[in-house]
Amino acid sequence: MKDQKRIAIYGKGGIGKSSTASNVAAACADEGYKVMIIGCDPKSDSSITLLGGKRIPTILDLLKQHLDVNEKDIVFEGYGGVKCVEVGGPEPGIGCAGRGIIVAIQKLQKVCPSMNDMDLIIYDVPGDIVCGGFVAPIRKGLVTEAYILTSGEYMPLYAANNICKGLAKIDTPLSGIICNSRSVTREEEIVRKFSEEIGSRLVAFIPKEQVVQDCERDGFSVLEKAPKSDIAQVYRDLAKSIMFNDQSILPGSLDDERLRELTR
Amino acid sequence: MIGKNLSIMHPRPSSIVAALYTLRDLNVDVAILHGPPGCSFKHARLLEEDGIRVVTTALDENGFVFGGRQELSSLLVKVNEMFKPKLIGVVGTCASMIIGEELREPVEDANLDVPVIEVEVHAGYPDNTKGVLITLESAFEVGVIGKEELERQKVLLREATLVEKRHGAASKEYLEPSRGDVKYKVAEKVVRLLQEGKKGITIMNAKKETGYMFADVSAAVNEVALALGKEGNVVNMANIDDSLGLPRVRHHAKCITADLQERGITVHEVIGGMDEYPVTGEKVGELIKQKYSDYDFAIITGVPHAIPMEALEGMEIISVTNGPRQVLPLKEMGHQHVIVEIDLHPKTLGVNHIVESEFGATLREVAKDVLGR
Repeated sequence: MKDQKRIAIYGKGGIGKSSTASNVAAACADEGYKVMIIGCDPKSDSSITLLGGKRIPTILDLLKQHLDVNEKDIVFEGYGGVKCVEVGGPEPGIGCAGRGIIVAIQKLQKVCPSMNDMDLIIYDVPGDIVCGGFVAPIRKGLVTEAYILTSGEYMPLYAANNICKGLAKIDTPLSGIICNSRSVTREEEIVRKFSEEIGSRLVAFIPKEQVVQDCERDGFSVLEKAPKSDIAQVYRDLAKSIMFNDQSILPGSLDDERLRELTR
Repeated sequence: MIGKNLSIMHPRPSSIVAALYTLRDLNVDVAILHGPPGCSFKHARLLEEDGIRVVTTALDENGFVFGGRQELSSLLVKVNEMFKPKLIGVVGTCASMIIGEELREPVEDANLDVPVIEVEVHAGYPDNTKGVLITLESAFEVGVIGKEELERQKVLLREATLVEKRHGAASKEYLEPSRGDVKYKVAEKVVRLLQEGKKGITIMNAKKETGYMFADVSAAVNEVALALGKEGNVVNMANIDDSLGLPRVRHHAKCITADLQERGITVHEVIGGMDEYPVTGEKVGELIKQKYSDYDFAIITGVPHAIPMEALEGMEIISVTNGPRQVLPLKEMGHQHVIVEIDLHPKTLGVNHIVESEFGATLREVAKDVLGR
C-alpha cells in the first residue's frame, strides 16, 4: 500500500459532514490526487453531489439481497475521478446500523483492491461515536486520522467534546476541528478556543453561504458548480491543510461546566 | 453479482464451534469465548474432555451495552497465570461481534508473552467451515501455521462445503433426523455376505477424531472375517496418513494406525490424511477401478457421502455415519444400508485409542451366534 491519508470525519448529525467531505474530495481531485469517499450515512449524501445528483446502490442494499458483490457493483466514479462508495443501512427502527458498517467495511476491504492506490480515503462516518460499529473504520485499522466538524452552538460542541473522549479511548489521533458556521455570535472565537483547550487546532472556518445549499440541491459540489466562489477557495484551503497535515494529537476533553461557559 | 443458494431450516453446526475445534487442532491450551456465558456451552464443555480449557468472558446485559474490552483483557491475564498456557485462542461470539467488539486491543492491553490467536467470528455464516477458515487465517498471521498448510486447508474446506451441499446435511431445506437401519439386521447381512464368500472393502473416511470409533467398525469386520476363515476376502482402506494436517490431527492418525497394527489389521490402502475426507473419493474410485472392481460390497464409515457412487458401482453399500440427518441423503444416493452411531462424538473426544462402536459390538455378537450354531 502506498503512503496514503485515511481520514474519518465525525460530528453531530446534520452539521454538514457530508457536504464538507464531498467538497474536500472534489478539491483534492482537482489537485490531481486519487480520492475515494466512503459514505456511511444512510442518506447517501456524501457521494450524491459528486455524481450529479445520482444515487448509487449501497453495499448493504446489495448484501441485503444476498448478492455476492464485486468492486464494480459498489464503487462509482464521480467528479474529478473521485471513487464513491455508500455503505447504506437498515430501515429506520429495524436491525443494527453499527453492525451494518462493520459488515460493509469488511466487504469493501475484501473486494476493493483499488483502495490501495488512493492518495486520500475519506470516511464520512455517521453522527456521533455511539457504538462499536460506528468506529469500525478506525478499529479495523482503516483510519489513521480523525477530524471533527462542529459549529459554535452548544449541541454540536457537546457532540464534538464527546467524540474527543471517544477518540482518546480508542487511541485515535485528532488532526483538527473544522467549524461549519451557523452564523452564531463569536462563533470562530468559540470554536478556536474549544480546539485549543482540547489540545488541537481549528483547521478551517467555513462560512455559511447560500451557494453551498444551491449547489447541493442541484446535485453538485461547490467545486464543480461554483468553482470561482469564495467558498470554493475555503474548501481548497481545507483540502490542502488535510493533505499536508502532519500534526495530530490524542485529544483531551472539557467538563460540562467549561463547555457551557465557553458557549455562553 | 452472484445470488446465494438454498436456505436451510434445520439448525446446523456453528462457525464459533468450528473455530473452537480448529483451535484445539492447533493445540491451544486455552480458548476464551468472548461473549455470553452460555454461548456454545455444550461443545465448550465437550472440548474440555479433549484436554483444552474453554473459558468465557461471560458478558451479560451490561457487557452488551458497555462492551467487554476490560473483561477480556483481565481474563487473558488471569488465564495466563492460572494455566500457564503456551498458546491461547480468543473466539468471538454473535453478541460480541454485533456490538463491534475488537479483539486485538484487549489482547494488546493484556500484553502477554504467549501468542494469542484472535478469531473474529460469529455463528451467522451459512457454512460453518467459515469459522475454521477465519481461525486458520489468524493462526497464519500469528505464525502458528505456514502459508502452505493454510492454502491446503482452504482447498479442503471448500471441498468439505461442497460435499455437504451435494449429499450432506446442507443438501436439503429440511432433513428429518433418523436412527437409520437396525444394527442387528445390518450386522447379520454383513456376516452372511462374508459367510457366502463375498469380497468386501472397508472404507474408513473419517473426519479427524471420529476415526477413533469408525476404525472399530473396520476392525470388527476384519475380526469377523477372520473367525469365519474369510480374512482374505476383506480389503481395508483408511484415511490415516499421519504426515498430513494440523498437529493434533496427525496425532490421531498415528494413534489409530498403531492400534490397528496391534490388532493385526492391515490397512491395504491409505487414502489420505484425517482432514482429507472431502477429497478422498477420487482416490478410492481409482483404487477400486484398478484393483478391486470385482468386489461385492463396501462398508463405508465416517463421511460416506464424500465417496462418489460411480466409484462403488455394482457393490452393495453399507454405510455408517454419526449424523442422524445423514441417513436420508445416503439412502437417496443409493446406499442400501445406513446406520447411525449415536453419541459418537462425545465418546471420541479426549481419547487416543480406538473406541468400541455399537455396530462393531453388534457385528461381533452376531458372528458369535452364527459360529456357535
